[in-house]
Amino acid sequence: MKKFTKILCAALALMMICAFSACSKENKIPVIGINQYGEHPSLDNCRNGFLQGLADAGLVEGEDFTVDYQNAGFDDDIAGDIASSFSANNVALMCGIATNSAVSCYAAAEDKDIPVIFTAVSDPVQAKLDSGNITGTSDKLPVEAQLDLIRSIQPDAKTIGIIYTTSEPNSVSTIADYQANAADYGFTIDAIGVTAQNEVTQAVDTLINRGVDCFSNLTDNTVVGVLASILEKTNDAGIPVYGSEVEQVKGGCVAAAGIDYYALGRQTGAMAAKVLKGEASASEIPYETISEYGIYINSEALAALSLELPADVAEKAVESKDA
Amino acid sequence: MLDLIVSTLTQGFIYALLSYGVYITYKILDFPDLTVDGSFPLGAAVTALLLVNGVNPYLTLLVALAVGALAGLVTGLIHVKLGVRDLLAGIITMTALFSINLQIAGSNLSVERAIDTIFNAPPTMALFGGCSLIVRKLIVSMILALIFKVLLDLYFKTKNGLLLRAVGDNSTLVTSLAKDRGFVKILGLVISNALVALAGCVVCQEQRAFSSTMGTGQVVFGLATVIIGTTIFKKFDFVKGTTAAIVGSILYKICIQCAINLGLPANLLKLITAVLFLVILVLGNVKKGSLKKFGERLAPKTGKGR
Repeated sequence: MKKFTKILCAALALMMICAFSACSKENKIPVIGINQYGEHPSLDNCRNGFLQGLADAGLVEGEDFTVDYQNAGFDDDIAGDIASSFSANNVALMCGIATNSAVSCYAAAEDKDIPVIFTAVSDPVQAKLDSGNITGTSDKLPVEAQLDLIRSIQPDAKTIGIIYTTSEPNSVSTIADYQANAADYGFTIDAIGVTAQNEVTQAVDTLINRGVDCFSNLTDNTVVGVLASILEKTNDAGIPVYGSEVEQVKGGCVAAAGIDYYALGRQTGAMAAKVLKGEASASEIPYETISEYGIYINSEALAALSLELPADVAEKAVESKDA
Repeated sequence: MLDLIVSTLTQGFIYALLSYGVYITYKILDFPDLTVDGSFPLGAAVTALLLVNGVNPYLTLLVALAVGALAGLVTGLIHVKLGVRDLLAGIITMTALFSINLQIAGSNLSVERAIDTIFNAPPTMALFGGCSLIVRKLIVSMILALIFKVLLDLYFKTKNGLLLRAVGDNSTLVTSLAKDRGFVKILGLVISNALVALAGCVVCQEQRAFSSTMGTGQVVFGLATVIIGTTIFKKFDFVKGTTAAIVGSILYKICIQCAINLGLPANLLKLITAVLFLVILVLGNVKKGSLKKFGERLAPKTGKGR
């Protein structure tokens, strides 16, 4: 039993050292705990935009605040652990990037009523993030603009194939949006729900087989993660894939009507700055949905599928390619 | 600082419930049960649904136990009655549960702050209302972990509990006692998964959310905690398996907290956690080895003939 006590003491001591090292860097500068669900370009853009938004408001990192950035590697358990660690370390503000991280932060923040700012949450109401000491920005997709874009590029298209992950609430609510609006633009939606990344390619094969006229992506983390392999198959079959934001167009989708995650993050950073400066509490600021969207195109991908861009669309479209 | 210890211990106690479950299947029954990845979120899904619909939070504990038991029963029946291999039986149930969980909860489901959980419902507040929420969480989870530890320890001493242990150690003995091995296996799986779903239920109340992917990796977590726990106590026969499970669970969560708080790049989190596990396990082993050598020095080996 003594030996066990020794080991436990050693472990506890180790934990204390860790914690103290975390405390020591706190000093009196408020800490912003950023809990990002995982690393992928859109979410990274969100985080960078968020920091830019704080800088825009005149707050200097290192002087006015410090950042404790953690990412959960798409693991809900870890997202929860990170959030409770933030709470225990008395951060001044938590920032949750993507729904699951935002929900974890809000749950952990209950202990001490720490304000929470979220971003990249498609449906804050469904996720119950719409009231309390919390605010942020929603990345709800401009579905009608996307349908309009597809119609203008492919006037004869009938069916849009969409693959989504049944466990991602953002995707489930966007699919409903698509289904509600598709008929207005003369489309039918052929949606396939998957549960894991390794099922996506099979779903692509199925949709190609069913003869869909094009694919449209959501901001579905699971599906977007294997975008390259989707494009490989669709390009072979000569079917265009439309993205939902700029990074996907850079990755090879023909076009997208989508939001700019950097701008979204920036908007979020401005809200966080208000809370940090004490100008308003998070509970007083309603969550915001970004209203502007951009049209992004990839000329190379369009040309490869010999698709023409109508002049009026080309005018407002932004060419998106990786430098 | 103190808060960090409190919240880490809380996590450790909550997940100890899951460790008990894995301890029963892995250590006692010698049954690699993958149902856990499905029954854990099953408990959470049912809990989230019930809480949102205004059901008493304490009642959800019982419901979670019941649905978890059902999941274990299914794996048990598939294995024993249909003759499917143990690993595969678990995989089948786990896979099916993924869909069932989503069906139950609709999608990922959050529980608003206005809804009471076991941590702030009236009876808890009446007893521990003076404490802050973070302390209440520790108290409630510790009480739950200890209640089920005592219940399990008592059960293992009963005739039925001994039979359970015998199936894993020496199943021929069980047959020779004219007992049905299959039945005992099913019973073990039922108890194990009931506990796992209970862990899911408490996690859901603590996190105020169900997410369909929250089960991924729980088997690995359970196995790691049980192995860490039992390795540390290898030399101490009097320490009960359930105690080892609690300690393993707490140590695991301490490792993760350390990794988070070390302030290293976020992507290294899992790597650091893995290194910390290795350190703990090696520490346990080295001590054991040196202890043995020490003992040999005290009592030099004598010839076989003596």
